[in-house]
Amino acid sequence: MAAPVAQSLKPERRSFLNWLIGAGLLGWAGSILYPVLRYLRPLGDVGAGGPLKLTAEELSILGKSHFVIARAGTRKVIVFESGGQLRALDAKCTHEGCTVQFVPGDSLIWCACHNGKFDLDGRVLSGPPPRPLGKWVASREGDDVLLTMETA
Amino acid sequence: MIEAPHPGMPPSTGERLYHWLDARFGLAKLVEFVRHKEVPVGGHSMVWYYLGGTTLFFFTVQVASGVLLLMYYQPGEVTSYESIRYITTRVPFGWLIRSIHCWSAHLMILSLVTHMFSTLILKAYRKPRELTWLTGFMLFGIALTFGFSGYLLPWNELAFFATAVGTDSVKGLPGIGQWLLEVMRGGPDVTINTLYRFFALHVVILPLVMVAVVSVHLLFIQVQGMAPGMAHQRADRPGLKFFPDFLLRDLLLWLVCLIVLAVLVYVLPYGPGIPGVEWELGKKANPLAPAYPGIKPEWYFLWIYQLLKEFPAHLWFLEGPQAALLVVTVLMGIWALVPWLDRRAGRNQPSPMFTDLAVAAIIFMAYLMLKAWDVGGHKAGSTGLPDPRATAWTCALITLGLASVVALLRILAYKQRWMYFSGAALLQVVLNGVFGVDYLVAGAIALLLAVAGLAVTLWKGRAERLEAPR
Repeated sequence: MAAPVAQSLKPERRSFLNWLIGAGLLGWAGSILYPVLRYLRPLGDVGAGGPLKLTAEELSILGKSHFVIARAGTRKVIVFESGGQLRALDAKCTHEGCTVQFVPGDSLIWCACHNGKFDLDGRVLSGPPPRPLGKWVASREGDDVLLTMETA
Repeated sequence: MIEAPHPGMPPSTGERLYHWLDARFGLAKLVEFVRHKEVPVGGHSMVWYYLGGTTLFFFTVQVASGVLLLMYYQPGEVTSYESIRYITTRVPFGWLIRSIHCWSAHLMILSLVTHMFSTLILKAYRKPRELTWLTGFMLFGIALTFGFSGYLLPWNELAFFATAVGTDSVKGLPGIGQWLLEVMRGGPDVTINTLYRFFALHVVILPLVMVAVVSVHLLFIQVQGMAPGMAHQRADRPGLKFFPDFLLRDLLLWLVCLIVLAVLVYVLPYGPGIPGVEWELGKKANPLAPAYPGIKPEWYFLWIYQLLKEFPAHLWFLEGPQAALLVVTVLMGIWALVPWLDRRAGRNQPSPMFTDLAVAAIIFMAYLMLKAWDVGGHKAGSTGLPDPRATAWTCALITLGLASVVALLRILAYKQRWMYFSGAALLQVVLNGVFGVDYLVAGAIALLLAVAGLAVTLWKGRAERLEAPR
């Protein structure tokens, strides 16, 4: 009687042990991988809480060359003056992520990397960019220029 | 393991891949080699065969955690200290990665030193393995340089002074001292330029050299096999199969090492808090601040640190640090040349002299290390500087106690009798610690005893050899 019982139990016990070892290995690998992956994932810098203010240096660049690229947390914003109106857009081209520039002569935003062209509201005019540039609101308060992200 | 295909069954993907590779690279030879590789059994405990493997394991941990630290570390005057603080306080699990790197560094050195001493005591360096010992000695030097150069990278107070002292000691080298000092520091003083040099050394040069020398070390072991024990030398005794028997044991031990590492890192993320085994970030380096009390190098440099303190300002025509450096150089030279000095082990005869040399080295370093920690120097309630006499007294008694236990064990369990070297080392400890004789005078007396013992033994051995053939 005993022998057939032992035989019928054997493969089950083996598969149970295999399962246990497999699960243990998986848990072990996970406990090493999880901290490493969390460690590698960069911390997004906490963005400024309120509206962003351009520094004196950025203001002087804006005055001289009609546009300036400012850092807003982890993003970059292009601030430019056209027809006496102050505007701001995401400076990162939606195509491959190069930084765009303002071309005052043609009144457009241009990306030098792959010749993407946007109008002054960020809409794609020509070239490969798939999406318009994100819009920001730039406003003057006294001598200061404040930037806030436009919520749709 | 590659098994023969089951009759009637089509070959599996694994088998097909093996045959594809075998046809191109001749894997069969390698498999044959691995299948026949054995680890000698008998003569002494198997434990000692695993220590090279654990050292390699900790080195692998060092490479992995070091690469991770490099993702955030920024060398520079205003960034080194700040980036380490950012890693330990802001980055998720950053404290864990840094702590693993520090703990594993100490455990690697501990494992390496234990491996080295066991190799010495078991005479595994004897012919034909002299070069394996020599490459191992080089790895020891590289590992210490790793520790020393890594110490500076956080750019904290401890790093600054440890590096200032450590690099300063090379100026005593005749001829090239000042040149070497400035090359190491990138200028006459320790500045951020020193850190750039140490950074390059720590993350590029040393890893490359380490991997190269480890490869040669391992190649020698593959070609010659692991050293069998002295006493047994019987070829008919079956060894332990390397694959899979030894390898699985190896892997299991590595897993245990990883668990020990994880527990230590979790319980004591900044080390056990003993001077020389701690890595609290502390204050940022300030070249204009005075050295703080209780500043100590890492534990494996403590004996040299203490030796520097034992030497007077001048000794004959040498300056104190120069003389200390000379002593350390001579000792290291003897250590590196042991396989050539030990002629008896080379002939596969018992060589008690070199067993005793290892014990003497341990006594010599243990006493200096205890003194470096000022054990027993602080009287209860006093807040002043430690008293060197009280320290020496306590440390001598501890060393004497430990050495007596070891000597008893050697006599009773291993029937060892040759103890001139360890006796001399202990004599120095007792003369200096218990009777208050100057450390160097005590050392000179002890050296005389050791040389006398050596002379008697060599003379007796020669007489025996002259008589033997007749």
